[in-house]
Amino acid sequence: MSRMNPYQPIELAGSTLWLLAEKAVYWPEQQALLIADIHFGKAAAYRRLGQPVPHGTTDTNLRQLDDLLARYACRQLIFLGDFLHAPESRAPSTLARLAEWRAQHAQLEVTLVRGNHDRRAGDPPRELDISVVSEPLLLGPYALQHEPDPHPTHHVLAGHVHPAFQLHGRGRQRLRLPCFCIGARLSLLPAFGNFTGTMTVAAEDNWQIYVIGDGEVWPLRRPAPVRPGICP
Amino acid sequence: MLVVDEWHELLGNKRGVQLQLALARLRQWMPELIVWGLSATLGNQAHALEVLLHPGRGKLVQGRVDKDLRVDTLLPPSIERFPWAGHLGLRMLPQVVEQIDSSATTLVFTNTRSQSEIWYQAILGARPDWAGLIALHHGSLAREVRDWVELGLKQGALKAVVCTSSLDLGVDFLPVERVLQIGSPKGVARLMQRAGRSGHAPGRTSRVTLVPTHSVEVVEAAAAQIAIAERRIEARSAPQRPLDVLVQHLVSMALGGGFRPEELFDEVRQAWSYRDLTDDHWQWALAFVRHGGHSLTAYPDYQRVEPDDTGLWKVPSRRVALRHRMSIGTIVSDASLTVKFWAKGGSGRSLGTIEEGFIARLRPGDNFLFGGRLLELVRVENMTAYVSRATGKKAAVPRWNGGRMPLSSELADAVVEQLGAASRGRFESDEMRLVEPLLRVQMDWSALPTETTLLAEVMKSREGWHLFLYPFAGRHVHLGLASLLAWRMGQQQPLTFSIAVNDYGFELLSATEVDWLKWLTPELFSQNNLLQDVLASLNAGELARRRFREIARIAGLVFSGYPGAQKSARQLQASSGLFFDVFRQYDPANLLLTQAEEEVLRQELEVERLEQTMSRLQGRQLDIHQVKRTTPLAFPLMVERFRESMSSEKLADRIRRMVAELDKAAGPGGYQPEANASIMVERETAPKRKPRQTKDGTPRLRKPKRAP
Repeated sequence: MSRMNPYQPIELAGSTLWLLAEKAVYWPEQQALLIADIHFGKAAAYRRLGQPVPHGTTDTNLRQLDDLLARYACRQLIFLGDFLHAPESRAPSTLARLAEWRAQHAQLEVTLVRGNHDRRAGDPPRELDISVVSEPLLLGPYALQHEPDPHPTHHVLAGHVHPAFQLHGRGRQRLRLPCFCIGARLSLLPAFGNFTGTMTVAAEDNWQIYVIGDGEVWPLRRPAPVRPGICP
Repeated sequence: MLVVDEWHELLGNKRGVQLQLALARLRQWMPELIVWGLSATLGNQAHALEVLLHPGRGKLVQGRVDKDLRVDTLLPPSIERFPWAGHLGLRMLPQVVEQIDSSATTLVFTNTRSQSEIWYQAILGARPDWAGLIALHHGSLAREVRDWVELGLKQGALKAVVCTSSLDLGVDFLPVERVLQIGSPKGVARLMQRAGRSGHAPGRTSRVTLVPTHSVEVVEAAAAQIAIAERRIEARSAPQRPLDVLVQHLVSMALGGGFRPEELFDEVRQAWSYRDLTDDHWQWALAFVRHGGHSLTAYPDYQRVEPDDTGLWKVPSRRVALRHRMSIGTIVSDASLTVKFWAKGGSGRSLGTIEEGFIARLRPGDNFLFGGRLLELVRVENMTAYVSRATGKKAAVPRWNGGRMPLSSELADAVVEQLGAASRGRFESDEMRLVEPLLRVQMDWSALPTETTLLAEVMKSREGWHLFLYPFAGRHVHLGLASLLAWRMGQQQPLTFSIAVNDYGFELLSATEVDWLKWLTPELFSQNNLLQDVLASLNAGELARRRFREIARIAGLVFSGYPGAQKSARQLQASSGLFFDVFRQYDPANLLLTQAEEEVLRQELEVERLEQTMSRLQGRQLDIHQVKRTTPLAFPLMVERFRESMSSEKLADRIRRMVAELDKAAGPGGYQPEANASIMVERETAPKRKPRQTKDGTPRLRKPKRAP
């Protein structure tokens, strides 16, 4: 099946970003793939605490990453925080699987901007060869962060929120979909991990919203500013 | 000897199953145990006896004297300003206050906790001199508060208590003189139970007064009197082998000194609900507590229960043990926070619990009603909402996501009989004479449902194409029926429906054109492939996912946290919805999913009642009316906000349509997500307040809001 909009190119702070329907951002100029909130080992952490969660979430996450790396020419892969979910996520099987995956992409430069979960879970093991930095990571016009805090000079690209948007239609129809929120000084990426929830963002917060559904990215027309001043 | 009081309250639910398991254990230790079950309101005594005493036999003892029971209705003086919909019914406040005034002690029953908060506040507002003499009682209030209220009732120190089903049972409150029921009584047994709270002694008369909150409830009141006079009491049946309760029981037994599987298997099968438990299911349950599932999908880093060297199954981890002790039980609520007064060092008094979802919508400084007090939110931390007393008027009323009880078949049938009689021009009680003008409007615009017809109304509005159908079979069956019909139509043509249900009927609403008359044929209601189609519609909708919430919690999948837990504990919580998705994707054969499906079929949709309803509907004449305006019966459905949806359209098509509508809306007027006609009528129940006036008649200026 051919998809109409597998990605949406946008101009942001003087550079071009592609918003991908796979809930990631591709930055052609830097040949960089940006991934927020992948939460590796979340299921493993639950199992360690006596809650049965099926296997397979890590493999699915990695397979989706592989697909993206195959489709878009990437020199670097940057995680915007929450790489590992919890201290209990450092299960041998999960770490072994990650190491195996890393070996298949040895040329790739991988960076992690530490998020709130990473601070508890600890940095990824050294053999994964991931350079870990504290936020913000300044790159080109952007401040790459986990938490959506404003930055004085750079446009912020952040995760943490797991944004979703609720569409309303005639006949009382509603659909809740993960989304990108693009603001004037700060933008949010959807959560990439497939065992993560979402949080609904409000329309009046003056975002330009791009919802994701059925393998496509759908821009919503920029709403009129309802509450000026809140604009991030 | 062991006495189980009010057995009917436990018989039909999972708490009853836990009791069965506990009894099986007691009989293991003491085979000669004598068990008594007591109940005053049971439709099927033989079943109740069998479940309680299984596998033994017993005797049925029935009192000779029928309890004298009086049911009457508090009727509004006129019907003109009486709403068709709404659940507050505060228009009856003056009469309710008058009734309370004229009796020594009154219990005011409401159907929801929110409603009880609103009524308590309203009564106190009308009679400030009753402060300290009236009280509030519901399940989310702190134990000490409830104890104080119960003691006050016993001593006759209270004039009135506004309560929910939390006071249906328990201690006998001898001094209670009057019982008022606000809103629909929902069922005959339930109303009798509540009536029995007054005159609670042999030989004394029990009396309950119904307070209808909208017009159809006046008809319900007339119907309830007849149903009670004829003692049409609902039957209740015990659940069949709920696996979530079994899984919890296994861990509890492992904690309580450990168990040997072969011995426990025999014991568990002594409980009626598990009398046919197969070895397969038993092995699955054992595997689940040990590995988290069948060995094929074993989760190696997970173990709740392990056999030791001697074959005794125990819980090896202290942490798991602690968590399990925290979550024993089968009553499920959303993640909740403790409400406490703000004081230095967190030493303030605890008031009760409140749902996290409600608090999340408030900001510090916002006011809300809780436990009959006006409170201001100070801050939220460590799973506790700190509050202080507030002044002023504006306050949010918390909502608790408790299950909404359906109207019972017995009462629904009695309502249809009343409407049928009305359609033949017979209005025989005060209640029916009062609502006659409104029923005439319904007859003029459309028709009344009767015992021999199935009323359907079709309408086109700005919102789309509506179908209203009135089978009068209770909200659960209506949901099943609506999903089924939507699914069957969706198989022929890509359609998306929004579904609203209440106890009288349901609405299907489509944003794209639907030729209802073409669809409304007897085939649509056919019983062929019924179960298959219901299952398919279930998978297409959201219901199974919602039901999974309860099962996940009881089986120990979702942990609601320790009291006073630190925030980091939240990183280990996930919503049951997320669990549901992940199980469906990675372990679709998991039996808890199967159970979720079965329970939706049996409890949410009441599939047996659905089957009965379908066969009854087939015998009825379809009475289709094309209406121009929303009829009185359709109105409450139109304004129902809580809606299900069912779609056979491609997701991309739905998104495309909504995005296009959004574009149009964003045009000149800006973005308005819910600018449609029906939202306007929804305010009907809470009339718009006029700006308050100063003494000279000019509108008062609103104070500028404080800067944040």
